[in-house]
Amino acid sequence: MLKEKKKVSRFELLMDAGFGAQKAGDILISAFAATGKFVYIEPMIPAEISPPPRTAAALSGVIIRVADFDITNIGNDADVIVASHEIVLNRRLDDEETNPNCRVLLDMGDKPGNEETYEKVCRRVTDLGLSIIPFETDAESKALIQSMQGAGKNMYYIGMLAAIYNTPAEAVEEKIKKTFGKKLKEDILAKNVKIFDNGYNFAKQGVFFSYEIESRPREGEKILIDGNTSLSMGIIDAGIKLFSGYPITPASSIMHTLARSFPAYGGVVHQAEDEIAAIGTAIGAYFGGVPSVTCTSGPGLSLKQEFIGFASAAEIPIIVIDAQRSGPSTGMPTKTEQSDLLAAMFGSHGDNTKIVLSVANVIDCFYAPQMARYLAEKLRLPVFIMTDFLTANSYKIIDRPKANEITNIDDIPDFVFERFHLKRLPASIEMVRLIQSIPGTPGALRRVTGLNTDREGKVNYFSKQNHLGHQIRNQKVNLVRQALVKPEMFGKEEGELLIVGWGSARGTIEEAINLCQADGLPVAGLHLKIVNPLPPMLKDIFSKYKRVMTVEVAYGDNIKFSPLAYILRAETLTDVRSLISLASGRPIRPKSIYAMAKAALSKKEGVSLVASS
Amino acid sequence: MNTQLQDKSAEQPLTMKDLQTENPRWCLGCGDFGIIAAVKRFLVDTQLIAYKTVNVSGIGCSGRAPNYINTYGVHSIHGRPITIATGLALARPDLNLFVHSGDGDALSIGGNHLIHGINKNFKCVFLLYDNELYALTKNQTSPTTRKGHKTMTQPVGTYLDPINPVRTALGLGASFVASTTDWMPDHLASTLKAAFEHPGFAFVHISQRCPHFDAENFDHKTSSWFTFLKHANGIAPDKRLAEKTEIIEHDPSNIEAAFKYANAERRYYGLFFQDKSKARYDDILHNLIKDTPQKPRSKILDQYMLE
Repeated sequence: MLKEKKKVSRFELLMDAGFGAQKAGDILISAFAATGKFVYIEPMIPAEISPPPRTAAALSGVIIRVADFDITNIGNDADVIVASHEIVLNRRLDDEETNPNCRVLLDMGDKPGNEETYEKVCRRVTDLGLSIIPFETDAESKALIQSMQGAGKNMYYIGMLAAIYNTPAEAVEEKIKKTFGKKLKEDILAKNVKIFDNGYNFAKQGVFFSYEIESRPREGEKILIDGNTSLSMGIIDAGIKLFSGYPITPASSIMHTLARSFPAYGGVVHQAEDEIAAIGTAIGAYFGGVPSVTCTSGPGLSLKQEFIGFASAAEIPIIVIDAQRSGPSTGMPTKTEQSDLLAAMFGSHGDNTKIVLSVANVIDCFYAPQMARYLAEKLRLPVFIMTDFLTANSYKIIDRPKANEITNIDDIPDFVFERFHLKRLPASIEMVRLIQSIPGTPGALRRVTGLNTDREGKVNYFSKQNHLGHQIRNQKVNLVRQALVKPEMFGKEEGELLIVGWGSARGTIEEAINLCQADGLPVAGLHLKIVNPLPPMLKDIFSKYKRVMTVEVAYGDNIKFSPLAYILRAETLTDVRSLISLASGRPIRPKSIYAMAKAALSKKEGVSLVASS
Repeated sequence: MNTQLQDKSAEQPLTMKDLQTENPRWCLGCGDFGIIAAVKRFLVDTQLIAYKTVNVSGIGCSGRAPNYINTYGVHSIHGRPITIATGLALARPDLNLFVHSGDGDALSIGGNHLIHGINKNFKCVFLLYDNELYALTKNQTSPTTRKGHKTMTQPVGTYLDPINPVRTALGLGASFVASTTDWMPDHLASTLKAAFEHPGFAFVHISQRCPHFDAENFDHKTSSWFTFLKHANGIAPDKRLAEKTEIIEHDPSNIEAAFKYANAERRYYGLFFQDKSKARYDDILHNLIKDTPQKPRSKILDQYMLE
């Protein structure tokens, strides 16, 4: 086995849904992490539970990026692909995410009877200039897999990948035992370990190459966590006591995690009858003075909009987490997108006010509920936490965040504010209604309504009072604008091109700017966490660059501006266009930004580029 | 039960005057006046603490009710008061909860929430103001409009048979189903008392007059067109009207008989059904916390630590 040193590598395992590709991926990255590597894992999940095997729709897998340094995103293209058969491989090749020297290991076990398609796909691989390495599971493993009705094949594949990435077999075996130890009978567990060993030994002898990624001694306490779990734990740490939701991908796993954990921290998990009821119940609880949150994704966001306007008008705090997925309508439920930005900002009817936060990574997920709670309670407005499928489902190793154990919003430490580039708001903030008490408070009986009211809370349809209500609500948002400090920037504070993104784009932008700088390109980056309102100094920042372009996983073209570009143009009167505005459902790659930036620099000003990632 | 009674030693007793807010903006003769008067009378009679009482409503004429009762209140959005009430019941079991909803609010736009409110059986008094049409939007057919009745949306006469609210509630497994009217203050008060004492979701159907759009409906001056249901465990017939109409014994634990009266052509007022033993969703969730050993939040991320 040849050993090639690498600082970072990305590989993927492609299987049919229902055969444990994600579980196998989790085991493998735990072992990588235990041996001092940095990892980032993105699952590929079909929207259906068990699509027919050996179809393109059945593709289920994991993309894993492993490095000897802290990684912030899923990165560029694959160095290695292990595919369980030719159909899933063929489907995945369509996404064009392979490196020129990518090595494709294809299980030939299904070839008998499928010779034609196998040959076609193998030809496609070689036509792409990639190398194909056919293999088959050995007779013993085949028999073991057959004895378990097809289960266990995933163990063979991670055995191969463990060997290819020079990870000690014992490290992975330990994680297999830890993962399955309590769930599987002893003999079944032993079979799984045996299949893993066979895969490992096969690759050690039968695969000619391997990658060595240096191990780093671990400093401090580290955790391995995905975005939705981090958000769930963050909800608990923020002192929120009621979760109200309705099942929807990719937000459901927050409800799953809290259903198990929340009661031990005094929290209620309410599975509502529908999306509208879910937010209504959270608003009812917050009216009762109990911090509460509702989670959803695009279709649910549409359904919640009337209540969001109500909360804004009635001055009831509410936190809405939106795990964005590909739309419109049901779209691609298990693919990532950033296209709910405008629906969050401008949804609900009439002029209604709200704050929109986004999370860049799993650490933000942990602290965002605190920030959202602070803003919701200070302003008595709806506050969004925008995450997306990518952040929700991607695991990463991070320094263990400090639990703040918040009881009330005064407990929130400064570093959380700094994380979201925000200063504390004034102690007293003007509300439309003078009385803002919670039930149980004597002498301050408060009735709220969605109708316009006077300052006492009485229904009123007078022109001046209505306009005043709007002014006061909008002034609350303006206070946040004034409290926003300069957003995070990468690279030089002036130049030819500024690349702007929000939410999960942060890691990719940071890495892309490093690539540009290494190449001497006059390109800088800017990342926004709070997207509504926008910080007041953006126009000044933008004026230091010849061009400002966004990168977004959302549709845009030469005529239609992508969502972030749209709001940045309106806010700054700068001719912001999109460098990448793709509705591909796939994360943006640093090298795509680099390539597009380079192309943009060589073209005349004002030319908009819409890249294929 | 978490009844919050007025602390007589510490405060002045609650009076009808304390519960006044402003003159309601309802039409002259509207049945809603009778309903909120009865609610206020009930609050005074039982000396509930106003600041621990929340009236929640949706949209429509009935939706305005919380604005006219001086307690805490949420006048929410169309069809969704039950969702708000669920949040209050889960978050604040110490509060007295009344939900006010119209026939369009509860049975049309909010039908899903009624199904699940009844099934969850959380503690609240649910008042269905049934004037058998949409009034605030100016006279459209509602789910309970009688067949043939002409409205703005079905001018040749309402096409379908109405949804029967009492039968619907019984069919959904409600633990408390009563029916009364806005013009029988005595019966309405007795019904509110029984509903409030019920440990769960108390479904109270109230026939409500709409003199502006449907003055002929509900002959409130005579009573021969309906029957009172009476029982030692039920609700006493209205004192003023009892002698003028039929009264029959009905055991509210008898679900078959309850369905029989609900299905009849004739109207019945009284307690149709009650089951105090039905599980309460709010209790279940609160007990789940009580029965779970509590953990310190400082260790919430320990389970994700790398060894």
